[in-house]
Amino acid sequence: MSANQSTAAAPIDTPEGFAILAEGLGKVYGQGASRVEALKGIDLTVRPGDFLIIMGPSGSGKTTLLTLLGLVNEPTTGRLVLGGREIYGGVPPDLARMRREEMGFIFQAPNLIPFLTARENVLLPLSLAGVRGEEAQNRVSQLLEYFEIAERAAQYPNQLSGGEQQRVAIARALANNPRIILADEPTASLDTDRALAVVRLLRRISRENAAAVLLVTHDHRLLTEVDEVIEMEDGRIASRKKVDPEA
Amino acid sequence: MNLAFRDVRYHGFKFFSSTLGVSLLIMVVVTIGGIIRGVILDSSTLIEKTGAQLWVVQKTGAHPGVGTFGPFVEISRLPESIYHAISVIPGVAEASPIVAAWEHVPQMPPPTRLMKFMYVNALLNTRSMVKPGWMAMPHVQRFIVVGYEPGRIGGPPDIIAGRGIEASHYEIVADNKTGFHVGQRVRLGNFEYRVVGLTRHMVGFTADPVIYMSLRDAQNYLFQTDPNLLRSEQAVARQHARELAATSPRLIPTVTANEEARLANTLYVNAIAVKLRPGANARAIAAHIRRWEHLAVYTDAQEVNMQLMGSNRLILFQLALFRDILVLIAGLVIGIIIYTFTLDKVHEIAILKLLGARGGVVYRMILQEALFMGVVGTLVGSGLELLSEPYFPRRVVATSGDIAQMLIAMSVVAAAASILAVRRAMRIDPRSVLSTG
Repeated sequence: MSANQSTAAAPIDTPEGFAILAEGLGKVYGQGASRVEALKGIDLTVRPGDFLIIMGPSGSGKTTLLTLLGLVNEPTTGRLVLGGREIYGGVPPDLARMRREEMGFIFQAPNLIPFLTARENVLLPLSLAGVRGEEAQNRVSQLLEYFEIAERAAQYPNQLSGGEQQRVAIARALANNPRIILADEPTASLDTDRALAVVRLLRRISRENAAAVLLVTHDHRLLTEVDEVIEMEDGRIASRKKVDPEA
Repeated sequence: MNLAFRDVRYHGFKFFSSTLGVSLLIMVVVTIGGIIRGVILDSSTLIEKTGAQLWVVQKTGAHPGVGTFGPFVEISRLPESIYHAISVIPGVAEASPIVAAWEHVPQMPPPTRLMKFMYVNALLNTRSMVKPGWMAMPHVQRFIVVGYEPGRIGGPPDIIAGRGIEASHYEIVADNKTGFHVGQRVRLGNFEYRVVGLTRHMVGFTADPVIYMSLRDAQNYLFQTDPNLLRSEQAVARQHARELAATSPRLIPTVTANEEARLANTLYVNAIAVKLRPGANARAIAAHIRRWEHLAVYTDAQEVNMQLMGSNRLILFQLALFRDILVLIAGLVIGIIIYTFTLDKVHEIAILKLLGARGGVVYRMILQEALFMGVVGTLVGSGLELLSEPYFPRRVVATSGDIAQMLIAMSVVAAAASILAVRRAMRIDPRSVLSTG
């Protein structure tokens, strides 16, 4: 691992410049004796094109943070701004629409829709966003070519290998040109070569599309491939370090 | 992208086998409805096809003051000549003397394989319920003899083969359910008749087929005194004459002639079918006829009702109740199938939610699948029912109205089940797709 600098998030005056801006984000589950404080005052800024890894032991709050940033979970406290839009203050935006049009999700398991072919799985986010016709088909074809799965496009997920499924899942996550890509342990079930290939792919996409990528993982093999590493511990960001690619 | 279509395409066997199950259930429901309609039609066809608005029958019978429920449900017997008097009532277009009675011939048409199967099935199903011998294979053909005055109402309405009755005697037109064929000679009682035509769906409320013959033939066949009884009665009459010889010898020829005329008289009818002129007041004409103290009058609707509400009443109620239960069961089964199909998809629904799918996308997918299953199930089930109708021993008639009713009912059930299921499935937290950490 090559990490040489700690960069705690500074107060932000112009949130429009960030893909993600979180201030004092907290999440509490349960009440009374069963009360669990999963996240405690998270401050986080992510710029377009940033590629970050979130690491930490189980129960440190990585996935909870990802669910808050993915708008499938509501924080108990704090402020969240995505793409310059205030999420929980003022007029609430259409969260499903934001997920549909501005975010891409990659999971530990590919989580493809089993009754759709590889091509249809990639087409799905476009279809949900109302993008149809030639534009949608061309976009899907590009992605399938890009991920070298065009020949397998007519296959159902259960006819694809694990690596192919994961590539289809990534293609699906990128179909709508999302500004934010959230990946939860996407390489957990892959061998080293495939895991590195997936992360390099994500990094390339991040640079080409100026998409912010947050990748939750336990996998230290991936540290050489990212810009920054966020270490989480007990619901807090313990450190945020830039990675030295030369080290 | 139509998700429902793609889901059905992928889960083809599961989906279509479930739909086939639904179809068979619907087939049973539609069949029961068809059996009910068949019983109703059997009870009404003979009356309706006669084309009479009023039926005049014997008044004093088992129910003094009410009138007999003749001629098909209870015995009614009138002198034939009454129809002349009724014919001249203003508003009456035609009054036709009708003879109607149940009879039988001692042979059945050869049973088909299906009939044999049904018989064996009935035996197996009832062997613990009946005494030995009760379920013996029938070897007599029951039928209803309808005698009418050729040229007047009451004859066979639709001839599907051969022709109508033209000769005065010994010609019959039979319903094709009798198994007779045109040209066949049939012995009924003491007379031999030739089948000159066939008709269809002309049965009584007991589903026994009708045999039409001329009024005279029917009177001779049904009312002629048995020759053995005639000889016996003539001996009694001669004995009376001998007894009369001692006191009033001059009355002997008259009394003897009257007695013999009474014994030989066959000029009776069971009812008079009355056709009214357009615009005639049926109620007023019926009141007019009732002034004859020995006559009762029923409208055609009352005649049909007597048959429906007679021996068929309880079986109709029972079948209708059974149909209701089946509709309920079919609805529940379809609802449960759709509900479980939907809950099988909660993971996919969670993925869709995480990808930002609107609730409507999920609702539309499940609703389309449910409606497809309900509609295809109903159409296939109804189709199977229509194909199987000719093989039932009694008339089974399902109409497009019945099928439309089932379509609506099943669509409502499918929609309700899918809405309930999606509401439950939509509670899935999209976070369930993510791992913990």
